[in-house]
Amino acid sequence: MIAFNLVMIVAEDLTMTYRVPVRDGGLTAALRSVVRRRYRDVHAVAQVSFAIAPGEVVGFIGPNGAGKTTTMKMLSGLLHPTSGVVRVLGFTPWQRRTPFLKQITLIRGSQPVGGSQELTVLDALEYQRLLYEVPSGEFRRNLADLTGLLELEPLLERQLRALSLGEKMRAGLALALLYGPKVLFLDEPTLGLDVSATATIRRFLAGHAARTGATILLTSHYMADVQSLCQRLILIDRGRVQYDGPLRELAARLSPYKLVRLNAPAATTDDVEPAGEIVESANGTWVLRVPRERVAQVTARLLTTLDVADLAVEEPALENVIDRAYRDGLP
Amino acid sequence: MNRALRLTALRVRRQFLDWSGGWWFTLTLVANEAIGPLVGLFVWSTVFPDDRRVISYFVALIAVQLMTASYENHTFSETVYQGTVSHELLKPQPVIVNPIGENLAIRIWMTLFGLPLTVLTGLGLGSSYRWPDLLLAIPALACAAILRFLFTWILALTAFWTERVHAVVTFGSVLISLLGGAAAPISLLPAPWRAIAVALPFHAMLGLPADIATGAVDGPAAAVALARGLAWILVFTALAVVVWRSGIRRYTAVGA
Repeated sequence: MIAFNLVMIVAEDLTMTYRVPVRDGGLTAALRSVVRRRYRDVHAVAQVSFAIAPGEVVGFIGPNGAGKTTTMKMLSGLLHPTSGVVRVLGFTPWQRRTPFLKQITLIRGSQPVGGSQELTVLDALEYQRLLYEVPSGEFRRNLADLTGLLELEPLLERQLRALSLGEKMRAGLALALLYGPKVLFLDEPTLGLDVSATATIRRFLAGHAARTGATILLTSHYMADVQSLCQRLILIDRGRVQYDGPLRELAARLSPYKLVRLNAPAATTDDVEPAGEIVESANGTWVLRVPRERVAQVTARLLTTLDVADLAVEEPALENVIDRAYRDGLP
Repeated sequence: MNRALRLTALRVRRQFLDWSGGWWFTLTLVANEAIGPLVGLFVWSTVFPDDRRVISYFVALIAVQLMTASYENHTFSETVYQGTVSHELLKPQPVIVNPIGENLAIRIWMTLFGLPLTVLTGLGLGSSYRWPDLLLAIPALACAAILRFLFTWILALTAFWTERVHAVVTFGSVLISLLGGAAAPISLLPAPWRAIAVALPFHAMLGLPADIATGAVDGPAAAVALARGLAWILVFTALAVVVWRSGIRRYTAVGA
């Protein structure tokens, strides 16, 4: 049982089942479906449980169709769970009470800015001020901060519809954070952004979390987002939580190997091969896959037996680790 | 002013600004709304060439049509189809504030563009009205504006169930046109049809303000017709609440 008063977000046995119409192909089946419809249950989320403490920044990852967005929608109040308990800030989200809505935000990378696209960014911010009843002084302060951090100055007088995707995301973040929500649900906030825009958003979110102590639940297919922002990871697959814990532990659990990058121009394959599986080799540089428990022993041996110019021990790329988890499941 | 009214006023202002960029589109809407009554005007003034009241009626009907136009199947239903209604569900205000605000903003723009043209048309064709009748038509016009919004809103909510909302709303518009007094003034219908048309809500949505403005319905008959319109507002409001709750229950169970 989860202690509801110590946490910002609680999900207990959260389940979402969609009932979707199905029919066979062909004219007969089409005619039959007019009088007798058949349905199939799709279990999007099944008995998901977790709790998130105030100020935590949690990565919520999983392959396409795993149930991330459905869970996010249930937590923000857009979906009514089929069963289970969900509490955010002490509220039941799907009731969408005004005090609850004033303390949360859901930012979707696919639709960073909702509503009318004809307004200028400044008009939209002003509208947001009135909608969320932000006092004038606080509005001015927040606007100045957000303008600086998100480099909004050149965008303020432009219409929302004329912004690029990256600019829309910056404007969307400003609109979403203007009223100081305590809980942020970020659904793929860097989706489709270029390298520079992605870096800006990541920097901003990391800074925002540190500055405000907001609780953040982030879904992203870009592991760099998760790595740069989240200490904790919840991995969901086929609607069920497969892992909930520190990011580094997941990496260790999924990948019992480390990579040893060795620069030894005089070495031959025969010299290096006994140390571990060769993953890459080019211009005197070798990358070896070595079991974690043997890393110390192997590096010591390489340094004593070979003329080593450089040696580094690396964690395997998180992308590869997570890919393995998606494909093979967790051990 | 309570919060809901302030938010509605805010939304009207925002949508008014929003629509200011599309004046040419507003003109096409004005033309589209005026076509039905204009056709009626040409047909019925040919049938009754000596009756000036027919001209006055249809000119008034153009004004009513412009000031009560509702496009919730375009403004609201599309947000259901595109999933952007989710943005509205997460805002700390009733969702209906936005459709009301946009409805009023569009009507203001259409009135600004269309009413001068209607007045010019009326002057050109020699339509005439008495001031007391025009004043008496104002509450009927307000009633029509509310009723037509509620009717279109309820039909637009079918977007939660079907992707054919435009067909549903078009069917509703045909009913308004046929039984509301655009295809033919209610007073010219045969007795049984007239009784049915008066009892149904469509006359109160469109033809009643024009009938009162031209003096075809006045005194106690106008009061009864207005009371009937108010009763329909209560019925449609209750129906709108039920359909909204049912639709939103479906939306939050199925998702976007």
